[in-house]
Amino acid sequence: MNRFVRRVFRQVACRSVLARDPYGPGVRPSPVLTVLRAVAVAFVVLLPLRAADLPALFAERVNSCVTVEFLIENELDRQPVSVLGLCVDADGTIVLPPSAIGSRVSVRQLKDFKVYRPNSATAYGAQYLGQDVLTGWHFFRAEDKLRPQLVPVTAWVRDGTPEPRLADEVWGIGLRGKDEDFHPYFLTSRVGLIEPMPQMTAITAAEVAGPGLPVFDREGALVGLALSSFGQNYLMFSHRERGQPVVLVNVEESSVFLLAKEVLPYLGRIPRNPAGRPLPWLGAFGLEPVTPEVAKFLNLDNQSALVVSEVLESSPAEKAGLKGRDIIVAVDGRPLPRFKPDQTVVTYLEREIDRRLPGDKLGLTVLRDGRRVDLEVMLGDEPKIIREADRQYFERLGFTVREFLYGDGIARRTKLADQAGVIVDFVKPNSPAAMSGLEFDDWIREIDGHEVKTYAETVAALAAIDADKGRADFVLLTSRGGETAVRRVKLK
Amino acid sequence: MRAAVLAFLLGPPLAIPTGAAMSSGFNRLLEAVVRIDVREVTFEQGARRFVAGVGSGVILSADGLVLTNAHVANPRAIEVSITLPSLERVDAKLVGWDHWTDLALIRLDLAEVKRRGLSFQHAAFGDSETLFPGETVYAVGTPYGLTRTVTRGIISNNRRYFEDREGVQGYETGSFNTWLQTDAAINPGNSGGPLVTEDGKVVGINSRAYVGADNLGFAIPANVAHRVVDRLTAAGSITRSYIGLVPGTLQDLERFYALALNTGMLINSVDPGSPAARAGLRGGDILLAVGGQRVDGRFPEQLPPIQDMIASLPVGSTVRLDVKRGNQTIEIPVVTEKLESRVGEEWAFEKWGLSVRKVSRAYARENQLDSDTGVIVLGVQGGFPAAVAGLIPGDIVTKINQQPVNELDLLKRAYQQFEAQPASLLVEAIRDRRVALYVLKP
Repeated sequence: MNRFVRRVFRQVACRSVLARDPYGPGVRPSPVLTVLRAVAVAFVVLLPLRAADLPALFAERVNSCVTVEFLIENELDRQPVSVLGLCVDADGTIVLPPSAIGSRVSVRQLKDFKVYRPNSATAYGAQYLGQDVLTGWHFFRAEDKLRPQLVPVTAWVRDGTPEPRLADEVWGIGLRGKDEDFHPYFLTSRVGLIEPMPQMTAITAAEVAGPGLPVFDREGALVGLALSSFGQNYLMFSHRERGQPVVLVNVEESSVFLLAKEVLPYLGRIPRNPAGRPLPWLGAFGLEPVTPEVAKFLNLDNQSALVVSEVLESSPAEKAGLKGRDIIVAVDGRPLPRFKPDQTVVTYLEREIDRRLPGDKLGLTVLRDGRRVDLEVMLGDEPKIIREADRQYFERLGFTVREFLYGDGIARRTKLADQAGVIVDFVKPNSPAAMSGLEFDDWIREIDGHEVKTYAETVAALAAIDADKGRADFVLLTSRGGETAVRRVKLK
Repeated sequence: MRAAVLAFLLGPPLAIPTGAAMSSGFNRLLEAVVRIDVREVTFEQGARRFVAGVGSGVILSADGLVLTNAHVANPRAIEVSITLPSLERVDAKLVGWDHWTDLALIRLDLAEVKRRGLSFQHAAFGDSETLFPGETVYAVGTPYGLTRTVTRGIISNNRRYFEDREGVQGYETGSFNTWLQTDAAINPGNSGGPLVTEDGKVVGINSRAYVGADNLGFAIPANVAHRVVDRLTAAGSITRSYIGLVPGTLQDLERFYALALNTGMLINSVDPGSPAARAGLRGGDILLAVGGQRVDGRFPEQLPPIQDMIASLPVGSTVRLDVKRGNQTIEIPVVTEKLESRVGEEWAFEKWGLSVRKVSRAYARENQLDSDTGVIVLGVQGGFPAAVAGLIPGDIVTKINQQPVNELDLLKRAYQQFEAQPASLLVEAIRDRRVALYVLKP
């Protein structure tokens, strides 16, 4: 049997599997069974499909793609978001790219999830499951009614599919907007470059799929998942500009995709909670890669290294004895590989941390004063992050306060022992708070001359002021950039 | 054609009454105003470069002292040339400068004046305290290089508060004096020229204006200038004291702090590590008195005199501050330090294509740096080792070949070594709190 025929058999085999159990291939059929079925079906249907029947492959694979719409509710406005999503299992689990939701947005701000199938104006409900720390993906679950209409992307996995190589033809799906009923359309290109970044990533000559949607080979087998597109350099000419350099990013279609082997093992990482906890934590700030020239100067051949800018107070890194200005040269005894661009090694180390759990060990070898020092860090659980923080908006006063987090102390170079008060998370334009000069990210230390320690205490104090309609004003002591200021908020 | 008609139509009602002439004092003043051409060094672009500028000045004495702005003549100037009202040019030298009041004193090359038989007049100060809003004043100077330009306006405000952290070529200004505001047209080049009354008395030194606004110009009051001139003549520089208070106005806050009106100055912030911080002062305290002398900082224009009072204390002396905190009034002794600028010494390392400025204590404090170790990269020159290594303006170079850059001299020595025997150097620099390494290659 030549290679071509073998491929056709596989194609048919999987179609038959799908026909019987279209929504359940979260677990892949055993290869032996697949081959047997393939042989059986091939005799019956007499090769009804050519490998090149792309319209038919396209029509099936469209069923793995959705558009997810939701609102991010802020104090004054609602920001609509529309993102492409991918169905990954029979439970109607949908994956959105990391960029779908900003890191500051709290789960409570996410409202009105709607899932649309391609070519359909019918909206289905969905629930937000959370963000996975390693992949950065946001997981959603579609409502029951929709699930039978979705085909998990794993249905297009073919055992033994060769990895894409340079110049291979690949294709994918793009989805138009709501006004066009999310009409799916075909995209295709060829692989121009495959590079570890640090995950194996392919860059195609032209756009090949909507960001977050799957990429297939000529035979329809899944070969990857499109990422957000990279920026491209252009010169802009207009009656005002004469060759002004601009960077353009195509937000509807992407020419970058992760190879399937970097995607498939992680589709099951459904977060147990919206924050994606537990979050493994090292506690080293500002990991800066060295250039090849610096590596050579440090006698590090053919490898990369990371300078640790600061070691955070009471962090696992500090407890393990890591110091600011240590140069990390190896993880678990393996030298840090060299990537292009240099910055990629930062992601590499972050992934080494994120693939672990709090309590797991991470071996670090560092250069300190020209000597190699081996350290073993026991990773911790990251202190509360910004999207988990409690917030309270006081509409009459015109601002939102957020609890003071570990990260706020780092940003303000404040020792843990001196951390108290709250952070201003929003100031309503032209409100009493705004007129007092209060700004986003100001740190509130005192209210009416009294030091505020906890978030609860602060919210209670502000709520009392808010409730007292007779109040003419109140006074805050705030801190910004290390400088304090007294601000009088005039209420009437 | 239309312009001509308009001029004709508007001419008669606006014409100055015939027979009006300026006073003899004013005419004498015109003979004391000079144009100043300056060539100064800059370190902005990764190299030692020169820029030329034009300003104005006023001759104050028969021995050739000329008063101008600090942003016209300062230690960066390598050539100062003065054009006398007779249009003759004479060289001059810097006597001293004070960026806090934006004033500088230069001296004409008297030997040259004598040799060439040149002559000039000198001007006298008037009393800037007696100026009233609406009083007619004239600005004399060299706007856009137009020598001996006289513009006329009124005093728009005689006590304007105007503080600027980097107003004089990156140096602080305006903390210790208020300004005269005038609508007499003040344009670039007027800087350093006098603001005078009708009798030709110098009541201010024109310094700045809102660019793009209509006739919002500012001058340093003569009474401030007079004191600065005396001190610069005597010592060449002015030493001030620092305790680290950031003042605020008490306007609208008296009730909250249970204060009688016109009592005390709000302390908005206390610089970390400053004498005031070490003495236990903190933001939200009310300063009632300095050395027993009560202060009133209700409105912004009242703050500079209080700051000046503190700055005028002897360096290293102990001053008692009366402070209200909550319901308590406490006395806190504070030991003054010498006031320093945020701008440190600047230098260029031509073969590295790198220009730097030493991190000063004030800069370190302002930017919450751990210490004043290091130099700030002012500029890099494309294609030279520093730029090739990846350094960019704003980076703080903290180590060179593992040696902490505690002083600029350390870098100068490394550079000399590099010049003599070029070899790669390992540089550590901080950018946005991130520490990275760079190699400077020959």
